[in-house]
Amino acid sequence: MTWINMLSAWQWLLLLAIPPAILSLYFLKLKRQESVVSSTMLWKRAIEDLHVNSIWQKLRKNLLLYLQLLFVGLLIMACIRPGWSGMNRAGERRIYIIDHSASMQASDSKPSRLALARDKALKLMKDAASNDSAMVIATSDRASVEQGFTNNRSLLEKAVQRIEPTSQLTDVSEAFRVAAGLANPGRMSFEDNVDIQVAEAVPATVYFFSDGAVGELNEAEFGQLKIEYVPIGDVDTQNAGILSFAVQRPDTDSAKAKQGSIAAFARMIHHGSETIQCTASLYLNNSLVDAQRVELAPGQETGIQFDLEGVDNGSLKLELDHADALPLDNVAYAAIRPDRQVSILLITAGNTAIETALRTERITQLANVQVEPRSYMSSPEYLTSTTQGKYDLIIYDSCSPEKMPTASTLFIGGLPPKDIQPRSNEPSSESSNGDAQAAVQSSDEQTWSFGEPTGPIMIMDVNRSHPISQYLEMLSVGIVEGRIVKPPQTGTILMVSDIGPVFAVAPRGPYQDAVLGFDIIRQTGDGFEMNSDWGIKRSFPVFIFSAVEQLAGGITEAGAPTVQPGMPIPLMLSNRFQNYQIIDPKGRTQTIERGADGRFLYTKTDEIGVYEVRAAGLEDPVERFCVNLFSNRESNLSVGMELSTGAESILATPNTIRARQEVWRWLLLLALGLLMLEWIVFNRRIFI
Amino acid sequence: MAQNASSNALASSSDTLLSAEMMAKLERMELISRKIFRGRMKGERRSKRKGQSVEFSDFRNYVAGDDLRFIDWNLFARLDRLYLKIFLEEEDLHVYTLVDDSLSMDFGAPTKFLTAKRIAAALGYIGLCRGDRVSVSTFSKAASPLVVRGRSGSHRLIGHWQGAACQNPAPTMEESVRRFCLKNTGKGIVILITDLLNKTGYETALKMLVAREMDIYLIHVLSPEELEPKLTGDLKLLDAEDSDMREVSISASLLQRYKLTLDAFIDSARSFCNRRSIAYVSVRSDQDIDPLMNEYLRTRGLVR
Repeated sequence: MTWINMLSAWQWLLLLAIPPAILSLYFLKLKRQESVVSSTMLWKRAIEDLHVNSIWQKLRKNLLLYLQLLFVGLLIMACIRPGWSGMNRAGERRIYIIDHSASMQASDSKPSRLALARDKALKLMKDAASNDSAMVIATSDRASVEQGFTNNRSLLEKAVQRIEPTSQLTDVSEAFRVAAGLANPGRMSFEDNVDIQVAEAVPATVYFFSDGAVGELNEAEFGQLKIEYVPIGDVDTQNAGILSFAVQRPDTDSAKAKQGSIAAFARMIHHGSETIQCTASLYLNNSLVDAQRVELAPGQETGIQFDLEGVDNGSLKLELDHADALPLDNVAYAAIRPDRQVSILLITAGNTAIETALRTERITQLANVQVEPRSYMSSPEYLTSTTQGKYDLIIYDSCSPEKMPTASTLFIGGLPPKDIQPRSNEPSSESSNGDAQAAVQSSDEQTWSFGEPTGPIMIMDVNRSHPISQYLEMLSVGIVEGRIVKPPQTGTILMVSDIGPVFAVAPRGPYQDAVLGFDIIRQTGDGFEMNSDWGIKRSFPVFIFSAVEQLAGGITEAGAPTVQPGMPIPLMLSNRFQNYQIIDPKGRTQTIERGADGRFLYTKTDEIGVYEVRAAGLEDPVERFCVNLFSNRESNLSVGMELSTGAESILATPNTIRARQEVWRWLLLLALGLLMLEWIVFNRRIFI
Repeated sequence: MAQNASSNALASSSDTLLSAEMMAKLERMELISRKIFRGRMKGERRSKRKGQSVEFSDFRNYVAGDDLRFIDWNLFARLDRLYLKIFLEEEDLHVYTLVDDSLSMDFGAPTKFLTAKRIAAALGYIGLCRGDRVSVSTFSKAASPLVVRGRSGSHRLIGHWQGAACQNPAPTMEESVRRFCLKNTGKGIVILITDLLNKTGYETALKMLVAREMDIYLIHVLSPEELEPKLTGDLKLLDAEDSDMREVSISASLLQRYKLTLDAFIDSARSFCNRRSIAYVSVRSDQDIDPLMNEYLRTRGLVR
């Protein structure tokens, strides 16, 4: 039996004042009729033991009074809405987890699965007792607490109504972790910016509204949670969806011969019981360029290929014209990357190894390499081009400019100029503290420092986590002479030799500087001699390619990267621009600033479609990336009637939402009946 | 002729108490005394006194001066000694009738007092017809009883009861009986007609009568309103005697409780009387006098 308080405090006071009022009326009402008897002796004896309390004696055996008190009692009972249901929910804590992943947009339940889930949650809330506290968590591939523990029902209802559909995948483990964590004792909830411990440490019941496309759950995460799984949607909902869509520049010679040859591949699946036929239409920049008839067998993946020519840049959209419950996965996007070429300046007195490495096929595809002698550094053309940022990367081979250029640099053997030091961390700014020694020590950590040449040295370790050095194999490389290269604190050591670090990379404003502490070929009085055999090793061109790719920001893939909704995408931004705009499929623009290493992790990938990265002054986007659903689990709309938790499974409880059995109406009816009975009794007394 | 006229006149004057037909029936009746008392005058009742009746009682030795007529000569012939024959004396019986005239008796339809007067008149008439000495009084006039003897006194007797009324205030039963005992030193039958509804109790009064070694009849008169009260609702009960007030809300259970109390009261009175050889007779005030006298009291051994 549970109760719902329907009255405010003053209403309660008013209601509770009625029974004493009735009692007092009975004292006042008894105007007795006088009757003469021969003697009151016998009557006195008869009522003697009833005279223990004369007040209560008056109330004893008074049917009318009892009827009236019973009547008021029933009214009061009705006002606290007693009721019961199959679930025990006296003062219980509830956690409503509502799945709003992509598959919940399916329209097999009208108007949508998410709307149905919200309705069911709201109904369940209405039936909750007034002292139940609850929280609302929306889950997709991440969990968000829409409302912390509270017993304010309107807040909870608003939180449920706030939950909007998303295109994201499903990962409920975080939601259950959050639920289990908040269900533990000592947790606080926030309501109007005030910390209140709303809930006691009692087990909570989780009402999980989902279509069951959640994968396997970890039972250990539930803790004291009791899971009630409310399946949303139909068991046999059919749906066709695209699982992947990618573009590629063909490798074949014939295809290469054709300018702008692009192959687009797609993989599709149909979850259903019958084979369906539909048309897959391919759009380039929203213009239909090709279409194919596709036959999708139930449960089987089907692949199709489109060959396009004369396409160098743009966005592709593949659309299945099959009307099913989830239109979200009937569309896939791919973007063809602009054929971006980076500019590289190599200043060398003559180094075959580097020049050869820069002439590889991959590098020529992505970069224009200009090779100049050392004398070029004194030319006005060099000064102009380096100050205007013409080059993405300048490689100084055994030489050093007077001034650092406005480009990323790679010093091979040469000692960088003094202005390579980070400007914002001048030692003078630190010396104001008065502690000179500390300032010197601090300045050592903040700036590049280079040792004197010594040799021979041997490479002991390579930083495998950095993209420049991750594939390098240096153990067999012999080095005659080299110097220690210590980057500032913001830098990264890429190679460590027996004398110390010899290769490091560090940001300099929008650029990156990489300094290698040894030459490949060094110039002596007798001419050129090999300082290291690295130039003839296999890892050297790999190093050059990685350096070009990472320091200059070159692009090699034809297809733009694609991620699933909600997933972060790492962007490599060229150092040519400081600010970039990212335009999402709905046309919203977000301005981002290029960081020191040119990397940016973009997370607002909620919309399915093509995102463009643009720079001011450029007509074409500098980068594109796509967000596609591409999830077999989300495309499979068949509702799971149980959740697998490893060894066991949680069965669906479709009857969870049972109507609360209210009795207050019956109590009121009974009270009405009593009123009639009382009337009859009263009248009978009058008639006697 | 003159006797006939006087009987009719008596009947007419006692219409409300005793009818002529009833009186005729009463003339054949006799009060039964369970004890033998010493009378005051020659009468029809056997007395403790030795006298000159035909009923032999005992022998005793002759002493000088004895009446020679009572010497048993046959015994003298056999034993050669003089013995005197003693015979029982026949004297009159004293019948005392004491009627409760408190206001509680003036209750019921017909009132208990009327019934009490009828019974008292009837029993007194029987006594007069049998030559008994009949002394009647009420509680308030216990010290000044009306004493009549012989049938000729029936006028006075019935007239006395005709004029009797309940007194307010009446003395308590104890006080009345005490006065009665002080006034009437003789022994005989005491017929006490009361409702026993005396708040100071009836026990002391009855014990006083018992101490006088009288043959006591207690006629307990209760009205139907007392035996089966027809009260309903919330009432303020007023005592007819002392205006004592009791507030009651009549319910079935309270009525049941009253009935139990009443039964216990009657039972206690009856057992009190039985333990002290008091003949207890319970009478309803609405009982008809004819069957009451001829059947009810006869079967209870008060009259024959």
